[in-house]
Amino acid sequence: MAVPGQLTFARRLGPATRLAIWLVIGVACVVLDVRYRAMEGLRSGLSLTLHPVRVALRAPGDVASEIAGFFTRHRLLQQERDALAAERSRLALTANTARDLQRENDELRALLAMRTRPGQQLVRAALLYQGHDWFGQKIVLDRGASDGLRNGLPVVDASGLLGQVSRVYPGSSEVNLVTSPGQLTPVMIERTGQRGLVAGLGQGRLELRYMPSQTDVRVGDRLVTSGIDRVYPAAVPVARVTRIGRPQAGPYLRIEGRPLAGLERSRAVLILVAQPVTVQP
Amino acid sequence: MSMPRETGSWGRVLGTLALAVGLTQLPWSGWALIVRPDFLLVTVLFWVLHRPERIGFGAAFTLGLLADFQDGAVFGQHAIAYVLAVYAVLYLRLRLLQFDPLRQAAQMFPILLAAQLTVLLVGWLAVRPPVGLAILLPVLSSTVLWLLIALWQRAWHGKGMRGAE
Repeated sequence: MAVPGQLTFARRLGPATRLAIWLVIGVACVVLDVRYRAMEGLRSGLSLTLHPVRVALRAPGDVASEIAGFFTRHRLLQQERDALAAERSRLALTANTARDLQRENDELRALLAMRTRPGQQLVRAALLYQGHDWFGQKIVLDRGASDGLRNGLPVVDASGLLGQVSRVYPGSSEVNLVTSPGQLTPVMIERTGQRGLVAGLGQGRLELRYMPSQTDVRVGDRLVTSGIDRVYPAAVPVARVTRIGRPQAGPYLRIEGRPLAGLERSRAVLILVAQPVTVQP
Repeated sequence: MSMPRETGSWGRVLGTLALAVGLTQLPWSGWALIVRPDFLLVTVLFWVLHRPERIGFGAAFTLGLLADFQDGAVFGQHAIAYVLAVYAVLYLRLRLLQFDPLRQAAQMFPILLAAQLTVLLVGWLAVRPPVGLAILLPVLSSTVLWLLIALWQRAWHGKGMRGAE
């Protein structure tokens, strides 16, 4: 008779009993993790153990791209250099204006006795690993608590907001992408200044929620962070509106957008480390 | 009897498990990530089928926790699924060992599917509804991986592994 207990070695407990025990432990793990956040220690341990492996296994890809880079055509490099030089001079002009505006802004804020915006510091990081996005998209970066990161910091790349740091380990950190379901970002429509809330839909899409049906919004509008939450700095590009639906039932528009940051492409990102805001009563 | 002992040596078991962990750690992205087979589950089930005295529930659970960490998922999500799959393989073990690679892979498909559906269900209950059904794609690739491993094993060892009975 092919019963599971009929194996050639001695076991004190039958497979069904063992299964039951392990299932109870498994459910306990889930509950401890979801309800009580009690498994972060184990996560840190695994992260420390696996970090060298991940770094080592990223090396072949890096070497390949290094070699490919070596054989880049000379003329291509020259063209790129010229383009960059032009870009740089243009940016220098903008930076001058920005510095001027910053000074003016500081003075005005001082006059108005307003709190200055928290100072910011940039931490450069590289993409280390990307997980499955079945329940929420996450990426792992190669910087962690030792570089001054903490939960909740915004992560950007050259073209826009990428997400928010959700877990910090000693040498690496996990980032919730802006398109991850359940991830909320306070934004405003750049053209009109109307504020709203962007929520991730998964699969590289996001949605602008709770916009009344008479809202002035068009396809192609840019959504930028509003900065009112003091988590994200103001005016970081987040998404571009791709579709506007007007459902018959319900008071709100269905506004979908595509993220501007290269969520799938970016390998080098920046983390904006702001001084912790102390709220005085 | 010397051959089975050799094929299932601790070195080989641990080596293949380490290889599976390593393969999962590679920086997968895009389509490759979506259809990436579940190396850990396939390896665990392979050894449960052929060396149940070495690899069992405990190892499956531990590697499941590792898979959970990997995806930044809830701890226990993959662990529960792996443990259930190990039970299914233990239950059907004598039957599975009788089939040629293709049929064996076909029989593994429902087990792998059940494991993935468990991951889906636990995630659904513990976190939120999943995004799309892409979660089921790795089942296909895992089955193909199983077929390849079974073919390779038959080519390499003949029917030697069945001598472990």
